[in-house]
Amino acid sequence: MKIKFIFLLFIVFYLTIVVRLFFLQVIYSPANKSEYLKTNKLNPIRGRIYDQENQALVLNQNSYQLYVEPKKIEDKDKLLRLLSESLKVEEASISAKLDMSKYWVAIAGGLPQEQKDKIDKLNLKGIGFDYQTKRFYPEASLSAHILGFLGKDNQGEDVGHLGLEGFYDRDLRGLPGFVETERDILGRPILIGVQQRVEAEDGRDLILTIDKNVQEISKNRLLEGLEKYKAKKGCVITADPKTMAILSLVCLPDYDIEKYYLFNENFYKNLAIADLYEPGSVFKPLIVAAALDEKKIKPNDTYNETGQIAVGEYNIKTWNDKYEGKISMTRILEKSSNVGMVYIGEKLGNKKIYNYLEKFGFGQNTGIDLEGEASGYLKPKANWYPIDYATVTFGQGIAITPIQMIRAFASIINGGYLMKPYIVQKIISKNKITEIKPQVERRVVSQMTSEIIRKMLISTVENAEAKWDRPKGFLIGGKTGTAQVPIKGIYDASKTIASFIGFAPANNPRFLTFVILYEPQSSQWGSETAAPLFFEITKDLIVYYGISPSQ
Amino acid sequence: MKNIFLKTTGLIMIVLIIANLFVVISGIFISDQINTFEKKTDSLHKINLSLEKKVASLGSLKFATEQAKEYGFTNSTAPQYIDQLKFAYR
Repeated sequence: MKIKFIFLLFIVFYLTIVVRLFFLQVIYSPANKSEYLKTNKLNPIRGRIYDQENQALVLNQNSYQLYVEPKKIEDKDKLLRLLSESLKVEEASISAKLDMSKYWVAIAGGLPQEQKDKIDKLNLKGIGFDYQTKRFYPEASLSAHILGFLGKDNQGEDVGHLGLEGFYDRDLRGLPGFVETERDILGRPILIGVQQRVEAEDGRDLILTIDKNVQEISKNRLLEGLEKYKAKKGCVITADPKTMAILSLVCLPDYDIEKYYLFNENFYKNLAIADLYEPGSVFKPLIVAAALDEKKIKPNDTYNETGQIAVGEYNIKTWNDKYEGKISMTRILEKSSNVGMVYIGEKLGNKKIYNYLEKFGFGQNTGIDLEGEASGYLKPKANWYPIDYATVTFGQGIAITPIQMIRAFASIINGGYLMKPYIVQKIISKNKITEIKPQVERRVVSQMTSEIIRKMLISTVENAEAKWDRPKGFLIGGKTGTAQVPIKGIYDASKTIASFIGFAPANNPRFLTFVILYEPQSSQWGSETAAPLFFEITKDLIVYYGISPSQ
Repeated sequence: MKNIFLKTTGLIMIVLIIANLFVVISGIFISDQINTFEKKTDSLHKINLSLEKKVASLGSLKFATEQAKEYGFTNSTAPQYIDQLKFAYR
């Protein structure tokens, strides 16, 4: 009898459990499922960016989004006052966001750990934090234009804009994972329930060709130069001429990368890759190299420079309207003779001039791995007039970007190879390191031509009309440039773009540096502004690289 | 015969109940551990990011410049006057 009673008790007990489970799992299933079955997105960590010595330029840092659950607020006034004090935001701004009819309202994002801890201590009812990561820049805005920034898209997701963040966004962002897990009321996993986890794949890290020390030298010197020569803006690009690995790229003014949203979008423009300008005399060595390569001239051939020359209805003259009579081709570069260049252009021929412009890559993207590059403009051959062929020999009447200029110039001093400029040398994922090798686009001039033009450019620096404070004992090659700025189709003589492109040590160039100053006021000439700035940077780089004097 | 059957059934039930209890308690214990490890992993991840930030900040040129300023390495040195000369020229 007792056993039957106990048996009956067990039956009733188990039936109760079965009925309860039926109610929970079948009758109330859809409503209750979300309470124990949780599906969360696992956000990948965005890839980090390092310079060539593995020194961090961009990392991730802990950050929090503060949210409020209006239905759980006990004292709204107190909450507004304390949050206002902690966030240093007007009460009215927080109040405007606080829609009491909603269940969840985001108040502020990007809060650092310390600020989160401080707000936590206030013990306010109805507030909470969501964990996020945000970008951290150990070197602040040293490389703002190179790095770009991380903004939000329409869905509120992180998306890279401009520079490397924009160009390598897909590599940097990684792939999200998810976790689906059944949890008990205390949030512990129920082992016999659903437990599925697909790990997120973190973004890939980038190792750059940029050297942050060279970047720092360039930026500091450019800043000094802009102040000294009272220029509106400027750029310094330094590259390895043999590979076109970019060692530094600075344009000023730039923007505070951490507070990019406070700046007008004009500041985001990377002049080095996106600004079209007329290069002026720094362009001359390219035409001379083309003529040498076509064997139309030799360095010691002479030209009789007697005065202005007429091309159609236009008169072309030298920068100081002075003429030296019989001069060599090297001397044409040394004194930057426009009329001499027109002569070389005539020897080369219009068809060849156009062909070489195409070979040097003008009118095409260089393919540099930065978002926001402009391709420049090379008008169709049919639209070229005789005056265009004449002026292009001394760098007027053609619109190019600074990065196109330095790439073309590198090709005439590196043995004749047009290289693709690049900034990322390694992409590192969890299981793989992808190395990006220097890429030859095509051969533009021969090895022999390259050696001849290099010597001519050394002579151009040594016998230039301006005397510079050059580092003693070092062979340096280069060329000045002063381009007038066209305003509404007319050149304004008072507004120029002054530039200098040069390399050192000239026998075996370790670096090629291009300096551009827009509208300098202290002097309009490249020889008096950009050139001294170039030599200051060169002195610093010679010390930094430990290059020994050769003379 | 009946007794043996009842005893065996009772014994099996007791064993099953004990096994069930063991599985449930182990489950709770392991769940707790999983929960703890998840929290620790999250916490370590945050600490890693903080340390990475700290190391990068201390190794940065920005920090070096601040330190240099603090210790006076960037101050221009005062000119050294030589006997009769009033000024020392650079």
